[in-house]
Amino acid sequence: MDVIVEEHVNPDDLKKYEALYRDQERRGPPSDKATFDYAWCLVRSKYLKDMERGTSLLEDLFHNTKDEGAKRDYLYYMAIAYTRTKHYDTALKYTKAIKRIEPNNRQATQLENYIKEKMKKEGLMGMAIVGGAALALGGIVGLGIAALAKK
Amino acid sequence: MAAGPYNYSYIFKYIIIGDMGVGKSCLLHQFTEKKFMADCPHTIGVEFGTRIIEVAGQKIKLQIWDTAGQERFRAVTRSYYRGAAGALMVYDITRRSTYNHLSSWLTDARNLTNPNTVIFLIGNKCDLDAQRDVTFEEAKQFAEENGLMFLECSAKTGENVEDAFLDTAKKIYQNIQDGSLDLNAAESGVQHKPATPRNPLNTDTPPNKEGCAC
Repeated sequence: MDVIVEEHVNPDDLKKYEALYRDQERRGPPSDKATFDYAWCLVRSKYLKDMERGTSLLEDLFHNTKDEGAKRDYLYYMAIAYTRTKHYDTALKYTKAIKRIEPNNRQATQLENYIKEKMKKEGLMGMAIVGGAALALGGIVGLGIAALAKK
Repeated sequence: MAAGPYNYSYIFKYIIIGDMGVGKSCLLHQFTEKKFMADCPHTIGVEFGTRIIEVAGQKIKLQIWDTAGQERFRAVTRSYYRGAAGALMVYDITRRSTYNHLSSWLTDARNLTNPNTVIFLIGNKCDLDAQRDVTFEEAKQFAEENGLMFLECSAKTGENVEDAFLDTAKKIYQNIQDGSLDLNAAESGVQHKPATPRNPLNTDTPPNKEGCAC
């Protein structure tokens, strides 16, 4: 799963699908296909702004379609985008939504497991940093007390 | 990335392509997990799997991109063709339409990969012989006309699945050996990993000279 979540878009793809989208935009509302292709590139960009823009395009697509299959696909890429931007709780809401449409969707389950693993790792890491700071602070206070005791 | 020791000498990139519902993900799952997935939902975008195999005594890591067959993902999946050393092109022997679309899949594969990419044609679901809609001979001829390797497989029973993945790797390895595949080309789809990095092959200065200077 890490390969799928962490890979970056090829810059040529991003340029190509951005150009197609912009071209349609000038003439009216862009097609779902052009929007999706562009959004899919954006959510795999290195830049936070691109990922957020991609998510918002996917949200619009999601709300404007009645096709359950398409909804599932948009939800998946929104979940990927939120995972990449470390909004893990939101990402998990989207994977749950996919499973409401397809209870046995393996890709959603794999993504869920990846997110939970990330949360566990990053949560523990956060605690380790706080723990380390507490230890360091304890050391300083301890030194102070030792210095006082010497007087 | 750290240049640590690898337990394989090469990485080959594969893609699996073909119409929706022909069993691409099931073939991958059968190959990597040795299990059949019944009731598999349509793939969203791409899936990824790996397995280490052995060809001519060399350990090779296969990195396999399994693409969605749905039309919606055509642009998405096309970007994964780049730099593939092997392409498994799959149709369903019980649905003629999936066979009829092969020429369009082949055009994509030829246009988006490099000339040395090994293309392997797979007629999947050969366990369903009673519902057969495409004869073996017909597909064999199509494969020969287009210079493709070919097997009929069953992701359900596992028949010929190993062979399709392994024969592709053997052909790629052969192309490396005879020099037709240039490992230094950016998009060859093959990476060479020295198995013993502590003993590099191309050291200009030998570590200890014969004889003593003192």
